[in-house]
Amino acid sequence: MQINKEQLISELLSLTERAIISVKKFKTLDITQLNFKNTPEQWSVLECIEHLNLYGDFYLPEMQKQLLETTHKGNFPFFKPGIIGNYFAGLMKTKNGKIKKMKSPKDKNPVSSVLSITTLDRFLKQAQLLQSLLQQALTADLTKIKTAISLSKFIKLRLGDTLRFYAYHIERHILQAEKAMGS
Amino acid sequence: MASELQFINKLINSFSEIGEMKIIAKGDYLIKEGEIEKNLYWVESGAVRVFYLTEFEEHVIRLGYKNSFINSLSSFIKETPSEFFIEAIRKTTIKVISKEQLQMLVHENTDSLKQYLALMEILVTQQIDREIDLLITSPAERLKRVLARSPNLFQEIPLKYIASYLRMKPETLSRIRNS
Repeated sequence: MQINKEQLISELLSLTERAIISVKKFKTLDITQLNFKNTPEQWSVLECIEHLNLYGDFYLPEMQKQLLETTHKGNFPFFKPGIIGNYFAGLMKTKNGKIKKMKSPKDKNPVSSVLSITTLDRFLKQAQLLQSLLQQALTADLTKIKTAISLSKFIKLRLGDTLRFYAYHIERHILQAEKAMGS
Repeated sequence: MASELQFINKLINSFSEIGEMKIIAKGDYLIKEGEIEKNLYWVESGAVRVFYLTEFEEHVIRLGYKNSFINSLSSFIKETPSEFFIEAIRKTTIKVISKEQLQMLVHENTDSLKQYLALMEILVTQQIDREIDLLITSPAERLKRVLARSPNLFQEIPLKYIASYLRMKPETLSRIRNS
C-alpha cells in the first residue's frame, strides 16, 4: 500500500487547522464550562486538551528531533505505512464522527491535573509546532525516518505513521471535547 | 537618598493616593499573553507569578509579592502584545495605576525625570544580573544569588514556582535546601 504524501500532509494540515479553530472557540467559554464533567469518568474540555498536551510533550520533540537529524531528505512523493504504524493510525481515526471507547495509558491521564486557561494556549502552541513539522515533512522520507513511541521502548514507527497516529489522536479528542461542552 | 529610591517613594505615595485597589482571587490573571499592558501594579498583599508559556512548559520569569511593583514591562513600554501571563498564586490585593498616571508623575518636573532615569538604569542592571542567573551551572549557587536579593522568598512563594524561576526541578530545589 502506498500513500500520496502531498495528499496526506494536506489532510493532516487541514485536520490541525480545524483543531486550532475548535480550541480558539473553547477559549471564548468560561472556566466552569471548560471544567464541566457530564459524569466523573467523562473528561471535561480541559481534560481532553490536557491529554493532548501530554502526548505532545512526548511526540513533538521526538518528531522534531528525527526530522532535524535525518539524512533522508529530498523528493519522496509516496509514503509506505508500516504494519504496526498503520494499525495504530487506524485505531485513532474517527469514523463518521463516532469515537470508539479506549482506555488511556496511566501517565497520560489528565484527570485531577491542574488545569486552567493556559491548557488551551499550550495546545495552540503545540498545534503551531505540528504545522511546522508537517511542512518539513514535505521534503523528508516518511518511510525511512523512524520515531520512538510513548508506549514501548522497543517499537519504532515510520514517521509517516507517527504523524497520522498523532494527528488522528488530536482529532479524536477534539471531537470528545466538543461533545463534553454540553449544552 | 539615592535617586531611584526617591522616585520609588514618590511612586509608592502615588499608589496610596490615586491607585485603584483591586482584590484578585487565586488563579485569576492580571494580564494574559497577547493583551496589551496598560497598568503598573503594586502588590500590597498576596503573591503573583509572571510566566512565559511554551509548547511544553510555564516558565516563571518573575515573582511579585508584598511591597513590590509588577507588570508586563515590555508590553507596557512598547504598547505591544504581552509575551507573558501574570497570575495570582493566592488571593492578592493590588493597587493599580495607569500608564498615563505614571507618565504624569515622571514628567512632573526635572527631578522626577532624573529619578525615573536612575530607576530605569537600575532595572537594566537587574536584567543583566538575571541573565547571569540563568547561565550559572551550579543549582546551589543559583539559589544563593536569588536568596541574597530576596531573603523572604520561601515564606512568600510555593516551592514549585521558585524552582521554575531558578530553572531546576522542585526535587532538586528541595534537596539543595535540605543539605
